Amino acid sequence: MDSVEYLDLLLKALLLAGVYAAMAVGMTVIYGVMKIVNLAHAGFLMLGAYFALEMFQRFHVDPILGSIIALPVFFLFGMAVHWLLVRWLPKSDTPTLASLLLMFGFWLVLQNIAYLVWGNEDQSILTPLTLSSVQFGQISIPKVNLVVFAAAVFCMVVLQIVFHRSWFGRSMRALIQNPYAAQIVGVDDQKTARLTFGLGTAFAGFAGGLLGMLFSFSPDFGRPFLLRSFVIIVLGGLESVSGVALGAVLLAILETFGINVPLPVYWHGWSFHYLPPSYQQVIPFALLVVVLLILPKGLSSLFSRKWKAA
Amino acid sequence: MKRPSGVVGWLKIILPWLLLIVLLLLPKASPGDNVIRLLFITAVWTTTSLAWNLLGGMAGQVSFGFAVFFGLGAYTTALLMHAGHSPYFGFIGGAAIAILASFLIGLPTFRLRGPYFVIATIGVTEAVRVVMNNLDVTGGSSGYRITEDQPFSQNEHYYSAIAAVALAVLVSTIIANSKFGLALRAIKQDEDAAADIGVNAYTSKLWVHAVAAGLTAIAGGIYARRAAFFYPGDVFAFSTGISILLMPVIGGIGTVWGPVLGGVIYGMVEEQISVKFPNLHLLIYGSLLIVIILLEPDGLLGLLRRIFRLRPLQQAKTKLAGDPG
Repeated sequence: MDSVEYLDLLLKALLLAGVYAAMAVGMTVIYGVMKIVNLAHAGFLMLGAYFALEMFQRFHVDPILGSIIALPVFFLFGMAVHWLLVRWLPKSDTPTLASLLLMFGFWLVLQNIAYLVWGNEDQSILTPLTLSSVQFGQISIPKVNLVVFAAAVFCMVVLQIVFHRSWFGRSMRALIQNPYAAQIVGVDDQKTARLTFGLGTAFAGFAGGLLGMLFSFSPDFGRPFLLRSFVIIVLGGLESVSGVALGAVLLAILETFGINVPLPVYWHGWSFHYLPPSYQQVIPFALLVVVLLILPKGLSSLFSRKWKAA
Repeated sequence: MKRPSGVVGWLKIILPWLLLIVLLLLPKASPGDNVIRLLFITAVWTTTSLAWNLLGGMAGQVSFGFAVFFGLGAYTTALLMHAGHSPYFGFIGGAAIAILASFLIGLPTFRLRGPYFVIATIGVTEAVRVVMNNLDVTGGSSGYRITEDQPFSQNEHYYSAIAAVALAVLVSTIIANSKFGLALRAIKQDEDAAADIGVNAYTSKLWVHAVAAGLTAIAGGIYARRAAFFYPGDVFAFSTGISILLMPVIGGIGTVWGPVLGGVIYGMVEEQISVKFPNLHLLIYGSLLIVIILLEPDGLLGLLRRIFRLRPLQQAKTKLAGDPG
């Protein structure tokens, strides 16, 4: 492999990381504010993909625009889900058995409703963008990856502004830092939780639409991405939005390079072997275990530990 | 163990034994192959349900990864039988491998609080299935076939499944009534408080995980021997792990008989519905899960108890109200 190919892979990994970040951020804010591991995230991702598909097929809406329309639609949907189901859960500082099982049950319901509505065939969204590509010297990048990346980054920037410049963002951050102190200074935790759940769901629907443009999907679509989201937010430390971006970049790079770079293997002497492509799916989980063992609090603990030592 | 008191107390002791005797004598009445097959599969699922409940119900550690142990049990049994060993040796071998695997999963993840264990169990199932799909020794994704040189005996399969479920009930009862079981319940309620009174949460969780893994693997081995053909997308499937989790939750976690109830209902319903409506049954289970979590966290057993205890509870309340102290 020469350097151009490596650069090509690196670019593709970074473009993928943008979508990964948009996908994981919804789960992170929900975990941060409510301490709920939202297993239904996978269901929302899948619904987002089907939403973009339906908008495209029925109303000829561009899937990028469809994904952006998914933001307010899924925001309302998420608030409804919170109002109907999530708010009845007992509050806790750590994820409870009940919250895990509730969200899991909801995922099962979403998934199997999707099976009833759309069947189990693989679907994909094909637009003129899908097949065209842009040339940068010797490197060619599919246009769809670029557009999806731009949309994802744009929404992440908007989220970051909401998070740091609005009262809603401020109350969210307060609840993440210390729920009791936040309530003492007058943060309405129920209202903030409802809005946060809406926000997390909105981003799941949005990211689902984007992922649907890059990969084919079926009602079981969300599961591998749910696991990737887990890995990303564990890398990012479960509670910080900027950590998510870092985790997404790291995962995307390792996934891309893991099967394209020969690994040294000791078997009757040193030799280099490629990891079989089918093992690519194992990389996120291998990474998860390694991170859990070395940095149980995520990448951010690496920096804070250094900070404290200094 | 507590001494039985009153009619209900004695019934609680006698009924399980009565049930066991009925189940053991049933093949003599020749009820037909279909009934035996249904009871066989129900017994296998009930065993896994009881095993999951040890970790998830008593110690409060939710695992989505029991398919790993089920599949390991199936494959180890098959490989050992292929090497010429007795199937019963295969079941024990499967249990041993699953216990090793449970330590591999538990050692890093039980050190951490919060959702890490749950997350890791999902990751492990997915990773193990991918590896098994690509492993040449076991035929990869096209599956593995067991050939036995003795004639197929419906009753032998049936009795081994009944033995497994009896073992699971026995182990659950012993743990529930032991100091160890008390420690597990303490961990479920408050890990810090449990640590303060001298419970080693880490090793307790590791041990109960190992016991549960072993029981699940035995069930997996028994299932595989009867099925004679299986593949990673079946025994290692994420949905297998889901089923193992759903049964005890539906029946009522934390008790001994709740998971049995859940397993029996699941085994019967699964066989009847899933053939006709392949997706409807998971939709029903999902909705049932939501309803149970929000309205009756103790499951169907809790619901039954509430119905049957309605009057005594009211009597107790009036008694309390009438008490001047």
